[in-house]
Amino acid sequence: MNVVFLIAIPLLAAFISILIKKYASYLLVAVGLFNIAVLIFSKNGIVFIGGFDTTISANLLGITLLLDTYTRIALWVVNVLILVIAVLNIKTYRDYGSILLLAMAGLNGLLLTNDLFNLFVFLEISGIAAYLLSTSNKKPVSTFRYLLYGAIGSSLFLFGVVILYSMYGTLNMVVMIREISASNNYTEVILPFILMFIGLGVEAKLLPFNAWVKGVLGNSNVLSGPMIAGVYMAAMSFVLGRLVTNLFVFEGTLLTVVTLILVLGIVVGDLMAFSSSKVREILLFSSIAQSSIIILLFVNGLTIWAVYLIVANALSKTVMFLVINKATAETENDEVDSLKGLFVHNNIVGLTFTLAALSVMGLPLLVGFVIKLNYLTALAGAGQITLIAVILLASLIEGIYLVRLLVKLWYKGEKDLRVEYHFSFKMVFIAIALSLLVFGNYSTPLNELDNSIDTVSEVVNNG
Amino acid sequence: MASIEFLILFLVGAGIIAYLLTKLNTIVGSIFTIFTVMFVFVSLAQYGFGMDIITTVKILPGISFSQSYLGFYFAILIVFIYLMVSFFHPYFIDKYKYKDSYNLLFLLSLAGILGAFYTNNFLNLFFFFEIIIWTTMFLIPQGKSKEAAVSYFGFSLAGSVSLLLGVFVIFNSTGTFNINDSLALLSGNSAVLVFALFLIAAFAKLGAFPLHIWLPITHGNAPDPFSPVLSGALVKLGGFIAVLALIKITPATVMFRAMDIPIGHYLVAILGGLTIVFGTLMAIKEDDAKKLLAYSSMSHGGYILVAFSILNSMAFAGGFYHILAHALASAGAFMAIAAVSRVTGTTKIKELGGMIHKMPITYLAYLIAIISMAGIPPMGGFISKWLIFQAVIDKGMVFVGVAVFFGSVGSFLYVFRPLAALFLGQEFTEYKHVKEAPILMLIPTFVLMGLNIYTGVFPAAFLKVINNIIVELGYTGITYTTYVISGNNGVLNPALISLVFVVGILIAFIIFILLKKSRKVELMDTYTAGNFIHDEHLFHYSTDFYAPLERLYEKQSHWMTTFYRALAEKVKELGKLGKYLFMSKSLSVTLLWIISIIIFLLWGEVL
Repeated sequence: MNVVFLIAIPLLAAFISILIKKYASYLLVAVGLFNIAVLIFSKNGIVFIGGFDTTISANLLGITLLLDTYTRIALWVVNVLILVIAVLNIKTYRDYGSILLLAMAGLNGLLLTNDLFNLFVFLEISGIAAYLLSTSNKKPVSTFRYLLYGAIGSSLFLFGVVILYSMYGTLNMVVMIREISASNNYTEVILPFILMFIGLGVEAKLLPFNAWVKGVLGNSNVLSGPMIAGVYMAAMSFVLGRLVTNLFVFEGTLLTVVTLILVLGIVVGDLMAFSSSKVREILLFSSIAQSSIIILLFVNGLTIWAVYLIVANALSKTVMFLVINKATAETENDEVDSLKGLFVHNNIVGLTFTLAALSVMGLPLLVGFVIKLNYLTALAGAGQITLIAVILLASLIEGIYLVRLLVKLWYKGEKDLRVEYHFSFKMVFIAIALSLLVFGNYSTPLNELDNSIDTVSEVVNNG
Repeated sequence: MASIEFLILFLVGAGIIAYLLTKLNTIVGSIFTIFTVMFVFVSLAQYGFGMDIITTVKILPGISFSQSYLGFYFAILIVFIYLMVSFFHPYFIDKYKYKDSYNLLFLLSLAGILGAFYTNNFLNLFFFFEIIIWTTMFLIPQGKSKEAAVSYFGFSLAGSVSLLLGVFVIFNSTGTFNINDSLALLSGNSAVLVFALFLIAAFAKLGAFPLHIWLPITHGNAPDPFSPVLSGALVKLGGFIAVLALIKITPATVMFRAMDIPIGHYLVAILGGLTIVFGTLMAIKEDDAKKLLAYSSMSHGGYILVAFSILNSMAFAGGFYHILAHALASAGAFMAIAAVSRVTGTTKIKELGGMIHKMPITYLAYLIAIISMAGIPPMGGFISKWLIFQAVIDKGMVFVGVAVFFGSVGSFLYVFRPLAALFLGQEFTEYKHVKEAPILMLIPTFVLMGLNIYTGVFPAAFLKVINNIIVELGYTGITYTTYVISGNNGVLNPALISLVFVVGILIAFIIFILLKKSRKVELMDTYTAGNFIHDEHLFHYSTDFYAPLERLYEKQSHWMTTFYRALAEKVKELGKLGKYLFMSKSLSVTLLWIISIIIFLLWGEVL
């Protein structure tokens, strides 16, 4: 099946759902299932749209979509997670069906497209969906600030694309990569690259461009929390990762600056989480640090481990945000101390949350450990001992605040806290925790894929 | 024959079964746990001494094992401590919040320990270390304080992180994760770096100065039957890392000609000496029996560090023997305190007294354990301290010598305090009803008593195993016969010393029999200041024994705790600074960052 459906059908459904508002959420589930079917039956390759020349080197105008294993993993994560989140919220957030459909279309497009201007368009579409999702937090000022940050980000990205277009006369990523390596003029592309990097960095939650996160995720609920911390973060990391791996040439000062930004993100992210006493803030600052690690891996060419880290992180963060946001919705207070003893009556939920947290910390028997050890080994092989030291130092801080959180959630405070988790929530938690546990113990399948899942460079070389 | 892979998988499987059984009935689950650990211990003891354990791996992916005398020595010792402690579970587990998982986590951590000492790969070592940390981390908050778990986890994680960084430095310079190969290939600056990183790990796990403050917090607050595991077994992981760093790496640093040891090792010996002194001083001050023993563990960790930093076989023998003797003694002492705490619910010295009347066997176990800790013959602790003293004197290490002797004398001061106040002294009315520990708990008590004495009387059997390790490490073994250990400054005849003791005790016993029997009187059958006593007030005060001594360092004793508290506070403030700089509500701040980055980048390149 043609992967265009992944974008077109959700978009169409989004418009239809406005007409049949009552059934929007059911339509959403149907489209989600359809997308998964498309993913199963579609084949890897390049899709040419609009009847333009099908030899990619001559294709300066037409939009192409590229589906390879890298994109496929990303699409699986995004579509499945949206579907799960949609099903979980089918009763509580009925009105957000159309918005989730829009998000689906935008994110799928973002991941598939091979055209830089088109990327900007999807960035805006998915951005709009994200702003609308954040309105469910009922914090209009935060949403407005998110909108402003998003606007700055996408404008910077667009600015960068415009400069590249004026230099090379194409928007097709493959052609552009070829042109850039042919011209081999490093200094000229610094400006567009850093602009695009910052532009996507706003969405991928990289410090210091991410001040919106605190307002949005710090007040998130069971819908917006997992969507923005899980789905959006995964998708944006995949997109930025693809550009970092293939398009951007990070050398010299640019490499230093980017590395510094990312290292700063890792350390400061964990420091901020350490100093927070609110559960949602702890989680969101921790995911800032995680996303910086992910991009750092992409910068160092460790594509496959970055991809696994994105997936593991999206899954763990989904569980953690769902558990916490459900509880804070009932206690109406997200100070850690007011959630003391949350797991006393919810042992299963507590166990899954603990496993997710242990995976984020990178402790053994969970997939986070396998991933961490592998990327650290790869970094050591590349002689990046300083980076390893920074990551390990940050993981020390991370370990301490997460354990502190876990201990408080497991042991009762002054009052008895009872939060009911619906059966469907528990099923999702268990499924995710089991997958973290299974791949943590049986990691052979993870080794089957390697950095070649990203085929852009192959396309560049072979046409 | 026993395969190490089988034993690990067996423990994991048994752990799950133990979980289910404990859920049904805590007693059944705990007894199952005892048999599980016993099986592992027996298998190890049967095949381990002859290096007959199968180390091939069939199922576990990416893990490889090999056996060495060094690993076996630690493994068998720790499994033994686990076995002893498991006898206590049936009587304690019901007190805990999440009792179902207690046996599971206990067995999982033991699986981690077996793996850690049998693996030949650094990444596997780290893997098993982390398993030990997180399984035990969930056991600790079941005790008194929840914060203790965070403190334990923080310091242990700091140790593992440092270890892992060292491992990657090794990998970067040698290209292999194999423990023996890579350590042999290591040289130059990276050897120094790894030496330092591994030592940080060793200090953190061993609870040596300046990474010691978690010891009293964790040991003091952990569940009562888990404190002996922490002190007798888990802390010894640090000893293992110290052996790797101090003996196997030995970076080519400047030598101290006068003492003929490298300067790095000398620094470690000095820090070990400080650990001994500080641990001793803090133990003297402590009122909680478990915390007191925790500080004593700290000071004994110092002896282990001192021993391994003196590079000769006499010192190594002392270090390894001390690991054994202290594990047995501290397990014995902690278990005696646990038995007391089970019936009284407290471990505070001033809230206890006269327990000897009700728990004479527990008292005896504690007495023997502390005699060994204080390094008095005829117990194991004497042998190891003698060996260490020999080595220290041999090298002419003045400062360290003062520290090790101070520690020995100091331990007289503190270990007898719980004895005097908690077991002896005036009996408290509220504990009149308590009884001696049940028979199942007395089994390990008797075994440990016996071993504490046996290690002090006939050390030859243990020295044989230790000599194997020393030879394996590339040194020549020490000289000993069945009854005599020879050092450079003299010989030791433990059996003879013990005989003298026995004769002394016999003479005392005969005098006791021959003399007139003392009359046993009630507590109230006395008078004071010319008056009869009408109520059972506490007239026997055994707190603040050493008040004048304590006053000397009263102000300084909080420095390290204050330091770490301040450190945590500073980290928090850094985080707040981060929030202030990057998470401000004003959009212009973010714009400022973006513009600054762009200008910085373009400066000199394009502009």
